[in-house]
Amino acid sequence: MGLLSKKDAALITDPLADNNPITIQVLGICSALAITAELKASIVMALSVMAVLAIGNVVISLMRNIIPSKIRIIVQLIVVAALVIIVDLVLKAFAYELSKTLSVFVGLIITNCIIMGRFEAFALANGPWRSFLDGIGNAAGYGLILIIVGFFRELLGSGTLLGFKVLGDPIEKTGLYAMGYENNGFMLLSPMALIVVGIIIWIQRSKNTSLIEEN
Amino acid sequence: MEHIELFFKSIFIDNMVFATFLGMCSYLAVSKKVSTAVGLGAAVIFVLAVTVPLNWLLDQYILKEGALVWLDAKYGVDGAETLDLSFLSFIMFIATIATMVQLVEIIVEKFSPSLYNSLGIFLPLIAVNCAILGGSLFMQSREIPSLGLALTYGVGSGIGWFLAILAIAAIREKIRYSSVPPALRGLGITFIITGLMAIGFMSFGGMLTGGDEKKEEAPKVEAKADKKDLLKKEDAKEIVAENTKINK
Amino acid sequence: MSKRTDSNVYTIVFAVVMVLVVGTLLATVFSLTKPTITTNQKIEKQQNILYAMGVNDNDETSANFVSTKVAQEEFSKYIKKQLVIEGDKVTENDKAYLIDVKKEQSKAKEGKTRRLALFIGEKDGKTFYVAPIRGKGLWDAIWGYVSMDKNMIVQGAYFDHKGETPGLGANIKQRFFMDDFIGEHLLDDKGNFAGITVAKGNNDPKNEDKIDNEVDAIAGATITGNGVSAMIKSDLKLYIPYFKTLKK
Repeated sequence: MGLLSKKDAALITDPLADNNPITIQVLGICSALAITAELKASIVMALSVMAVLAIGNVVISLMRNIIPSKIRIIVQLIVVAALVIIVDLVLKAFAYELSKTLSVFVGLIITNCIIMGRFEAFALANGPWRSFLDGIGNAAGYGLILIIVGFFRELLGSGTLLGFKVLGDPIEKTGLYAMGYENNGFMLLSPMALIVVGIIIWIQRSKNTSLIEEN
Repeated sequence: MEHIELFFKSIFIDNMVFATFLGMCSYLAVSKKVSTAVGLGAAVIFVLAVTVPLNWLLDQYILKEGALVWLDAKYGVDGAETLDLSFLSFIMFIATIATMVQLVEIIVEKFSPSLYNSLGIFLPLIAVNCAILGGSLFMQSREIPSLGLALTYGVGSGIGWFLAILAIAAIREKIRYSSVPPALRGLGITFIITGLMAIGFMSFGGMLTGGDEKKEEAPKVEAKADKKDLLKKEDAKEIVAENTKINK
Repeated sequence: MSKRTDSNVYTIVFAVVMVLVVGTLLATVFSLTKPTITTNQKIEKQQNILYAMGVNDNDETSANFVSTKVAQEEFSKYIKKQLVIEGDKVTENDKAYLIDVKKEQSKAKEGKTRRLALFIGEKDGKTFYVAPIRGKGLWDAIWGYVSMDKNMIVQGAYFDHKGETPGLGANIKQRFFMDDFIGEHLLDDKGNFAGITVAKGNNDPKNEDKIDNEVDAIAGATITGNGVSAMIKSDLKLYIPYFKTLKK
């Protein structure tokens, strides 16, 4: 750990487990539910949020001493929105194929409360380098949950992973399907994302009992 | 009639929380007690009812492609009717919402301190509630045709959100007396209950597919497809195979 | 430090500067990128039309357009005629592919005559009639191109969407869904226009029955599927008078 001090390293590792943005801080749930029917979409979303959150955190952190406190929420929202719109326009012009894949996520990124939450809770009070690390860490923790949920929903719901038919072909009845296995189409519906996240929380808190909430 | 239809549709079928999963963060975070849930829910209804019509005006007269035609007609600005500012809609909508929320906060604080005390702390939370921005964006993408309908839509979706947070808060108050596995207590069980409620709300979707399809007589085509034109499975497969071939 | 940033004057000045900076920045980026974006969109439309008539780079499983470099060349090679149908008038127009279906639809709503684009392509001695369609999915707009023969039997289809749920509604642009339409009849056995319904609980999952006016729906994407059925019905119906003239 030559590059990062212990305190800085904790900024990245904490949100992965004990201070996870989704399961503990309750941030960024909407997008976690909307796009996890497919593993690929989960990965793309996780990476996009990481980019926006890290850059946004640095920008807000640099501006933290000049933002008037009365209108700070508007300023924060505008910074995110402007950032995302610019990236979207540039992609549309120079990487059109990529932008078509990402355009679905643009709106979801702007409204993702994980971004506002970290601006408010961290970037406004810390320097750019630490804010950058915080952004990376929180986005990684968020992405981790997204990828776990996406993995199970795609595997159980459509029997594929990243589009590859890992369990055989359901129509031609090969692989597992030859033995009478059926896809659980229910896993593809968004309510199941809520239930999968609920189960992740259950497992996490059984392992780490200090996280259990008082009733 | 279309007002009533849109109203109930936005409450039940397109419920913000259960159908589109918007506004989840504050829904989960502020649903421990019924009284606070009512406060936040009321504030969401109010803000949606104000911002959706406001953003409708903004969209109609400034952002849409060709929306600036009035500039040309009134002030003779050339080429105004071809301007397309819709790339600005995200930022404009967000700015409107944040401004409105802050304005409402200031006004309520000034004129009704008691209301401010019960509502005030929720107002800043609302600016970051994605249900609010979602409402405006849906209004834009679904092309709601009039200001009145935009208002109906705003109020309807607000009530839908209110209903959802009220229901979950009531359930959470009761669940305190049940023996939930310790690790599931609080957030975990809330997630799972919301999932089950969402599955329940999916059945409202049947209201939409049930009877509203207008029977419209399609114009008759005299020319009937000949029997030999009817494609059978083999032919179809052939076409698929043909289309798969790379055409150079 | 915080004293200085709390004053009203500072807040207002900051807001004004912020709006100016962000506004200029966005406007600059937009006007710089606009020409490239427009070209990209033009090429995409050509690729879409070519895809629907089977000119594409499809491999075993995935849908691929002809490459952007050759799109324009291939378009002029395969598309023989571009027609604009306006009421009874049929004119040729080599910019027909740029007709904005959304605008034409809103024109029709206002009671004006809608311009319909139709592309006549030839490939391997067969004639394809390609028509654009547009409608609404769950979240936002969906659109596509359908190519037919003169009996309105589908020869190929391309669908796209703005923001459908990845893994669910977004699958309308996957091969398994689009290929299902190939060989489907738009007319019923009496020769009346029936469209193609994206049907749930279809007892024909391999889609062997091509004359039932039905294709199998995508699990979990009911509303998007209904949107596809609706846009096929409402938009392709308008071409019936033209296809009648072909029969004579």
